[in-house]
Amino acid sequence: MTANTVPDSAQCPVHRPGRDDRKSAGVAAAHFAPTPGSTLVDGFHAARDILRSPKVRQAGASTEHVDKSRPDEISFFFLDGDLHRKRRAAVAGLFAPKTIVTRHRAVMDRTMDAIVARLRASGSHALDELSWQMAVDVAAEIVGLTDSNSNDGLARRVKAVLETSVNAPTKGLGKWIALARTLKRIGTFWNKDMVPAIAARKLAPRDDVISHMVQAGFSKKGMIMETLSYAGAGMMTTREFIVMVAWHLFDNDGLRQRFLAGDEADQFAILEEILRLEPVASFNWRRAAEPIDEASTGPVAAGELLTISIRHANTDEAITGPCPFELDPDRAKRMKVNGPYLSFGDGPHRCPGAQVALHETRVFIDRLFRLPGIRLVSPPEIQWNPGIHGYELRGAIVACDPA
Amino acid sequence: MAQVTFIAHDGAVITIDCAAGQSLMEGARAGGIDGIEAVCGGNAYCGTCRCYVDAAWRGVTGAVTEIELPMIETAGDGTPGVRLSCQIAVTDKLDGLIVRLPDSQM
Ligand code: HEM
Ligand code: FES
Repeated sequence: MTANTVPDSAQCPVHRPGRDDRKSAGVAAAHFAPTPGSTLVDGFHAARDILRSPKVRQAGASTEHVDKSRPDEISFFFLDGDLHRKRRAAVAGLFAPKTIVTRHRAVMDRTMDAIVARLRASGSHALDELSWQMAVDVAAEIVGLTDSNSNDGLARRVKAVLETSVNAPTKGLGKWIALARTLKRIGTFWNKDMVPAIAARKLAPRDDVISHMVQAGFSKKGMIMETLSYAGAGMMTTREFIVMVAWHLFDNDGLRQRFLAGDEADQFAILEEILRLEPVASFNWRRAAEPIDEASTGPVAAGELLTISIRHANTDEAITGPCPFELDPDRAKRMKVNGPYLSFGDGPHRCPGAQVALHETRVFIDRLFRLPGIRLVSPPEIQWNPGIHGYELRGAIVACDPA
Repeated sequence: MAQVTFIAHDGAVITIDCAAGQSLMEGARAGGIDGIEAVCGGNAYCGTCRCYVDAAWRGVTGAVTEIELPMIETAGDGTPGVRLSCQIAVTDKLDGLIVRLPDSQM
């Protein structure tokens, strides 16, 4: 678990000089900032063992400043142990592969019909707007935000809330102005999107997160927090991932051809390998509640804060084999590793939406790249969001032959 | 080390060695058992590593645990002996274990 910097060029023993297919490595290295005072965990086995250990507690986002005396008022992201497991178990069915295929797939197809129509009508469009539409519609179905006046309005309001809360200044007057703006935007989101959804579910419960919260008697605050954590965790991440995959496929003819000719399993292998190299979230954080001393981790003292570097763990040669920075969709199968490596985290907090994200990305990319005349008019600009320690891809424009 | 026999839905039989300390799912994946998909990587959150423990072995592997239930219920799988193989720890006591696999992990 030593501090470590991302090398400028990969030293691959097979393909010298090593090929580095990552697009986000430069910006991530430039902004590499583990939490001061924390221990960096950068090996795959150590990272996985920490994330799976019952001896650690969630320490990501603002977890350690959140009041846990009212667990029904906070997202399950902030909880641990039995209570966390029960809250996750209550909604587990919404994320199961079977539910994705039998239920969410229809939403993905329908949304993609609308996205394709939008793109063909205008001839060209901002790619991150299209990927945002997919991410919002799918997460909205799972959460139960389906009674808003329009999905475009919902997407706009969610974006407004998340942008002010994630990018907010943390000091001085700016902090208070941002807080006031966030509260106002949350108020609008509550009135326009949550109130109608809750009312509809009080009359006729469905199978979604809001119905579950209504039945379990969540407070207003609890419902807002839970809903926004799905929005932040599910919508913002998937928007970036879809654009990243498209960028790779536009730039790599062989990969694009393989994707379009491949069966679903091969398409997933390509997506997972891109996600291994370009993890949307760079870090997970945990605090040791008790001493840990595994072969992979070495001694960790009780109370120690751990910054787990997903980027480093995913390119640990001990588990990737040679050429860790090379995009090789056959790698995971060859190495007998779960395809996304640690890009969805691991252990009790592992992303419940992982399969949802992979499926919606597959549907989006498959349809996009089959459009007549599809091309990248301008590539994305890669930015860094220090709030979530992740990349953001803005300004990509795609065009296709008009309808 | 435990020798475990996997019987696929079409009757194909494969016996592999699973190292103690792994989960049965990890042993199966390492041994090339395709019927175990395990898309969540062993976190009891996908239900695609289901297996049916042979009646004679259920006392040794133990009953289905609470953490496994949500995914087994979502899969609608009421087959006797059903378990998530990612939640079965391989020990030497499992030497000779026989498990069957579903037709599909969906
Ligand atoms: C490419 C897309 C996505 C990526 C890269 C991603 C990544 C992650 C990661 C790394 C974690 C673990 C955080 C931790 O352990 O501290 C996580 C948790 C979570 N994700 Fe995702 N996610 C994605 C999509 C989604 C989607 C589509 C949803 C829901 C619709 C979702 C909902 C959640 C929730 C609710 C958690 C908290 C789980 C808990 O704490 O138990 N995510 N995600
Ligand atoms: S591997 Fe996903 S439930 Fe067992």
